Amino acid sequence: MGARRIAVAPQVLEFASDDPIAARALAALYHAAPPTTAVPTLRYALRRPAPDAGRWVATCPGRPAFGPAALGDAWSFLEWRATEDLLNAPGTDAVFLHAAGAEIGGRLALIVGESGAGKSTLVAHLMLRGHCTLGDDVVRFAPASGRFSAVGRSMKLDPNSLRAMPLIASRCAAATVGTLLAAGCYYVSPAAIRRSWQAGDGRPWAVILLDAARRTGEPGLERASEGEAVVSVTQQVLGAGADGAPRQEETTVRLLEVLADVTAYRAVGSDPAAVAAALEREALR
Amino acid sequence: MTEAGVLSRPAARPDLLLRRVGSEWVLYDATRAKAHVLNLTAAVIWTYCDGTFERSAIADAIARDVPGLDLTRIRDDIDDVLRRFADEGLLR
Repeated sequence: MGARRIAVAPQVLEFASDDPIAARALAALYHAAPPTTAVPTLRYALRRPAPDAGRWVATCPGRPAFGPAALGDAWSFLEWRATEDLLNAPGTDAVFLHAAGAEIGGRLALIVGESGAGKSTLVAHLMLRGHCTLGDDVVRFAPASGRFSAVGRSMKLDPNSLRAMPLIASRCAAATVGTLLAAGCYYVSPAAIRRSWQAGDGRPWAVILLDAARRTGEPGLERASEGEAVVSVTQQVLGAGADGAPRQEETTVRLLEVLADVTAYRAVGSDPAAVAAALEREALR
Repeated sequence: MTEAGVLSRPAARPDLLLRRVGSEWVLYDATRAKAHVLNLTAAVIWTYCDGTFERSAIADAIARDVPGLDLTRIRDDIDDVLRRFADEGLLR
């Protein structure tokens, strides 16, 4: 069975399948994460009980096997488990945040918003403008050092977003995977957009709030309450207190300290390309 | 203690943490996993909530610190802020 191992510190994930389609689907999850030969700490496999079987069995750590089921369902199960397992074991010196981020002219911007608020789309537009990313949905935060770092997960982009991004859309047109879990979404590796996709570790200069209430109006950025923005960030912590990870209270206090001098903006309007341009102007100011 | 009692000499819960963020202040209540954003006025009032200052003394102190403010307005603000602190369970 062919296997691909990737490092998402502190874990080493292994994805295995002897079927080329399934292997490609699995590879799409963490395509941009660095490959490794280290011993895996989390193993996932997608296989068919028999070579000609049309149904699939998914296996993961600590859970009964899922299936036999349709490939899409089995793959979705593995994506869910590979995400949850990772978020619940961030290590002793880190937690994950449900947030996106980008590095613009050497300055990090942390992007916060509910699922579907447009974090991935904004990150994609920033990448198309030549900037690197910390990720579109999950970023790592180390309370001890106060630094944020990238997670090599693939980005989820829906066709509406892609219509305004023909370069990325052209790559998705050739993709064979991407519509299995989030209906209509493509899993786009940041490494497929930019070879050097990864933003450097650091502390954010700004927090950008994506807020459904501000979808109308002249597209761009408006200043926002720093207090409210940072409190929003503290509410995005995932996996705190799990498996020896820093506790929630400790993490919140560190976030308040580390983000004490950020500038807060709220994205306005429904044009993410214009928001990306506005953010670039602010960062390079 | 009644609200009037709590507010007469307001005392902050000692387990809360006040941190500056930008031009605002965040009061973090770890017990309830809740963070409150305070403006500068509320943050200043919070620093007087040690159980020794009466409301009028807080108003006098702020009036001394920030010349030019109307004392009646300060007292109204203090009443509003302390009521909010009490409603949120931030006072002992």
